[in-house]
Amino acid sequence: MIPRLSFALCWVMLSLALLFLFTPIVIVVAVSFTESAVFSFPPQGFSLKWYYSIRNADGLLASAWLSAQVAFISTLISLVLGTLCAIAVVRRMVPGGDVIATFMASPLMIPGLVLGIAFLQAARLVGLNDAYTTLLVAHVVLTMPFIMRTVLASLSMFDFSMVDAARMLGCSYPRALWRVLVPNILPGVMSGALFAFIASFDNYPISIFLVDVHTKTLPIQLLNQLEMSPDPTVAATSALLILATVLALIVCDRLVGLKRMTTI
Amino acid sequence: MNLVATEAARERAASANKRYLDVAAVTKRFGTATVLQDLNISVARSEFISLLGPSGCGKTTLLRLIAGLMKPDGGRIAINGSDLTQVPAHKRNIGVVFQNYALFPHLTVEQNVAFGLEAQRTPKAEIGARVQNALALVRMQAFAERRISALSGGQQQRVAVARALVVKPSLLLLDEPFSALDRKLRETMQIELRHLLRDLEITSIFVTHDQDEALVMSDRIAVMNEGRIEQLGTPDEVYSAPASLHVLEFVGQSTRIGGTADASALNGTASVETPLGKILAPLHDGSGVSGKVVLGVRPECIALGERPDANFNEISAELTDIVFFGSKTALHFQPPGADDRIQVEVARVPSGIAQGVALKLYWPISETMVYPAP
Ligand SMILES: Nc1ncnc2c1ncn2[C@@H]1O[C@H](COP(=O)(O)OP(=O)(O)OP(=O)(O)O)[C@@H](O)[C@H]1O
Ligand SMILES: [Mg+2]
Repeated sequence: MIPRLSFALCWVMLSLALLFLFTPIVIVVAVSFTESAVFSFPPQGFSLKWYYSIRNADGLLASAWLSAQVAFISTLISLVLGTLCAIAVVRRMVPGGDVIATFMASPLMIPGLVLGIAFLQAARLVGLNDAYTTLLVAHVVLTMPFIMRTVLASLSMFDFSMVDAARMLGCSYPRALWRVLVPNILPGVMSGALFAFIASFDNYPISIFLVDVHTKTLPIQLLNQLEMSPDPTVAATSALLILATVLALIVCDRLVGLKRMTTI
Repeated sequence: MNLVATEAARERAASANKRYLDVAAVTKRFGTATVLQDLNISVARSEFISLLGPSGCGKTTLLRLIAGLMKPDGGRIAINGSDLTQVPAHKRNIGVVFQNYALFPHLTVEQNVAFGLEAQRTPKAEIGARVQNALALVRMQAFAERRISALSGGQQQRVAVARALVVKPSLLLLDEPFSALDRKLRETMQIELRHLLRDLEITSIFVTHDQDEALVMSDRIAVMNEGRIEQLGTPDEVYSAPASLHVLEFVGQSTRIGGTADASALNGTASVETPLGKILAPLHDGSGVSGKVVLGVRPECIALGERPDANFNEISAELTDIVFFGSKTALHFQPPGADDRIQVEVARVPSGIAQGVALKLYWPISETMVYPAP
């Protein structure tokens, strides 16, 4: 009786979860193909005109390009710094490594608004007026926890005597890291990088404090758009983002295998 | 004249050969803790030496210093006369088999073995043949394409050996390579590896804390304790003439009896007053003992019954346990006033013997060992 009940419950929960996850996606994608100029479901007719209108919409493409840049560069910086930092912590090369690791992962636990205000004030304090640089710095801090957590997890399962083995077989220390450590932690690192990229790309609460008129990230621009001209252009943009995410997942799956990525 | 010169040259070569690996006055500290203190050891070419000692005595540390994975705080390490102290690990050409094998899980068996050859930029054409050769040595050719995770413990161990040997190292270091294997497989692998290394004439240092393993495999055993080498000798020497109480306790079974030695050692024999009566022990190389001492006897030296003559020590003790081992039986005796029980090994339990009876025991005076009490 109990096993059957829990089995049934499992399925109910799964169905509900799928329903909640997929309904918004389905609706957004469906609305993006509507002919009507208002956000209405079910969509009327079929057209691609809202996709064409993305190009003409004020600043949408520019902000998408900015978001992609910020997300890519900040993830890359976090990736290099975070991995090196995680190695130092795991190998106990620095005293108090655990404290450092916790600190680096802490932005994940602080509300974005608090961070945003803090960054704004800090930037004012040091006289950093350039919105682009400020955004980049803030997003490095924002993406770091994702990298640190996954790299630390991968490293904790990595047997460093493999690096010693590679050295004894003729690899210098940096080369041993490259030939043995990197391939073994790559799946974890890739998943961390993917999450970091996405977190940066759709961050709103921190970025809202740091943008200016000329430098607006995509989430902020989308919300502006929605307020000014609430037509299905926003839906079309969202549909494209969903497509991009799916493509990214497929590429990652091909490169390292989604299963290996999610087990870490 | 000429003859004398060549003789001298040959002798010099022989003594250089004896010091193929030379570790001289090596010291290693971690913070304030001194793990190795002025340690010396020389290994001859093609020799197989075991480092035997309790956990934490510094065996792995010594191995890592020789490998170059750590820097000593003092002393010198040389192979074949050339000083290695400043040579980085990857240029030392020393093979290491790690305790957990440290195989590369992202590569196949073949790629693992080829790793060292590729790192040393061996010509491609040569790599394939040498990898096959190395895999053949450890009988793993059939597994060349496999992933590491699809191998058993024993197979992984073989791959680790092949990977270390394929680069023709000048020295092979093995850190407890069998500790993860079950007993049966362990015994097979011990003999297999010993034969392989003997055939290849590879100089090897083998770390273990299993005394049986050390006794079975080694040309010589270095018994370590607290960062020092207490004795370096053949298995026979280490077993039958332990240089210290620690070596006696660590290698093989033994019975220890505490007592007080008479200050006057008579013609090379110490007379020791113990709770079991007076026991005589020979003193070697003119050394004298007095005051508190510990006597040691190996179980196989002790026999049941009355001593035939005065060349034997005799005591009497109560039989407390009969432990059957198959090929032998151990009899445990609890002598009055002694805390260590006495072990005696017999092939068959004599009839009429039961727990609780008091029996006479004897052993040759020449087989009695005596050490100052710690
Ligand atoms: N990196 C290190 N930092 C500080 N202390 C260390 C370090 N490595 C080893 N030690 C200490 O040095 C001592 C010797 O360690 P080592 O690993 O050489 O022992 P071992 O003889 O190999 O023991 P086991 O049989 O358990 O492997 C130990 O007390 C250990 O705690
Ligand atoms: Mg060890």
